[in-house]
Amino acid sequence: MRVTLFDYGAGNLHSLAKSLATAPGAEVRVQEDPLRALDTDVLVLPGVGAFGAAMARLEPGRDAMRAALERGLPCLGICLGMQLLFEGSDEGDGVGLGYFQGRVTRLTARRVPEMGWNQVDDDRTLSSARLGTVYYAHSYVCRATETSWVTGWTTHEGDRFPAAVRRGNVVGVQFHPEKSSSAGVRFVQAFLQEVSS
Amino acid sequence: MLTRRLVVCLDVKGGRVVKGVRFEGLRDVGDPVELARRYEAEGADEVTFLDISASAEERETLWDLVQRTAEQLFIPLAVGGGVRTVEDVGRALRAGADKVSINSAAVAQPSLLAACAERFGSQCVVASIDAKREGERWRVYTHGGRKATDLDAVAWARECVARGAGELLLTSIDQDGARQGYDLALTRAVSDVVDVPVIASGGAGSAEHVRDAFQQGGADAALVAGILHDGLTTVGAIKTLLRESGLHIRSVT
Repeated sequence: MRVTLFDYGAGNLHSLAKSLATAPGAEVRVQEDPLRALDTDVLVLPGVGAFGAAMARLEPGRDAMRAALERGLPCLGICLGMQLLFEGSDEGDGVGLGYFQGRVTRLTARRVPEMGWNQVDDDRTLSSARLGTVYYAHSYVCRATETSWVTGWTTHEGDRFPAAVRRGNVVGVQFHPEKSSSAGVRFVQAFLQEVSS
Repeated sequence: MLTRRLVVCLDVKGGRVVKGVRFEGLRDVGDPVELARRYEAEGADEVTFLDISASAEERETLWDLVQRTAEQLFIPLAVGGGVRTVEDVGRALRAGADKVSINSAAVAQPSLLAACAERFGSQCVVASIDAKREGERWRVYTHGGRKATDLDAVAWARECVARGAGELLLTSIDQDGARQGYDLALTRAVSDVVDVPVIASGGAGSAEHVRDAFQQGGADAALVAGILHDGLTTVGAIKTLLRESGLHIRSVT
């Protein structure tokens, strides 16, 4: 199974690449070209950086990526990578992939960014791995207009936001599974297993 | 609701974990990657490498070490010690660190915090403050506690946050290594005036001390080092006490 990390130049991908590589049969590669990144069995949108800069890098492949997702290409979007799956963001310019309806806005809380371990409630993202306490490092969240696609929620101070969304084989998570210890690694493995079978 | 965090600190020098009393009589105690992984397995919420390398040659091994660790550690990794420039921070992040703590360089050049926050985001900028009690106040020291500054610790903490620090690592020089408990008054004085997480550091001698840092000091996280390395207690034992005390923490299943 070819698992491709789309690298939009935002930061280190070491932990994420290694967590994906723990899944049986996963061949992890990194690709900087958004069109070439689509020649894969599973696409991963990593989660470091800012929306505007990332979307600028993704722009040349945006329509093709959206079409590939609609045709059923499995995809895991993490943190900023999840936000790219929505329509747009208050953090920066650029049109998102629009696979999920809704806009990315700033957390409404005293402590922003939210940094640390928080609980996922009512998780039903994957059938074989339940999310518990996971690691967050973010200032923005995805306000999904279609809440039936929200498969888990987290609350920071008074702000309840989507921890995870899923439509078909496309999953977005606001937390960092690659920093969420064994529970996060199990989640990544379960995702790859579920979308490849 | 965010959990309180237990952060395990490892002193590294020349790519190895070392231990000593006040930088003297250092001895090799193991491989940083293996120790970090062991603490993750025991339930540590975060690992910090404090680089105490004395030479540029020794320091060069840090980036390789950070990368090897990031490839095997699946909890956040922070790096501190000798970070002087925006380039140093960028290098640490590219190697795989999630956060970088800046101490003496921020005092010498406060604009460094803002420059790093603008370039990489506040979430990876930790201001590290070493403070020593003087009557009812605390004075900021730099260079591993050897050099006094004119700064008041509480005022400096606020300024660090205003300049872009996303977290504060607050070390009591008086308590450090004494194992008599954290400086709770210092921790409380700072945590009361900033909106970013405060990591209490210096003085942990028991699980009860960690609990006190949270309940009385108002800390969001507590840094623990020697008592774990010496086997006086374990991450699991500390977390059990915290849980029994009604604190919200991450359980390892």
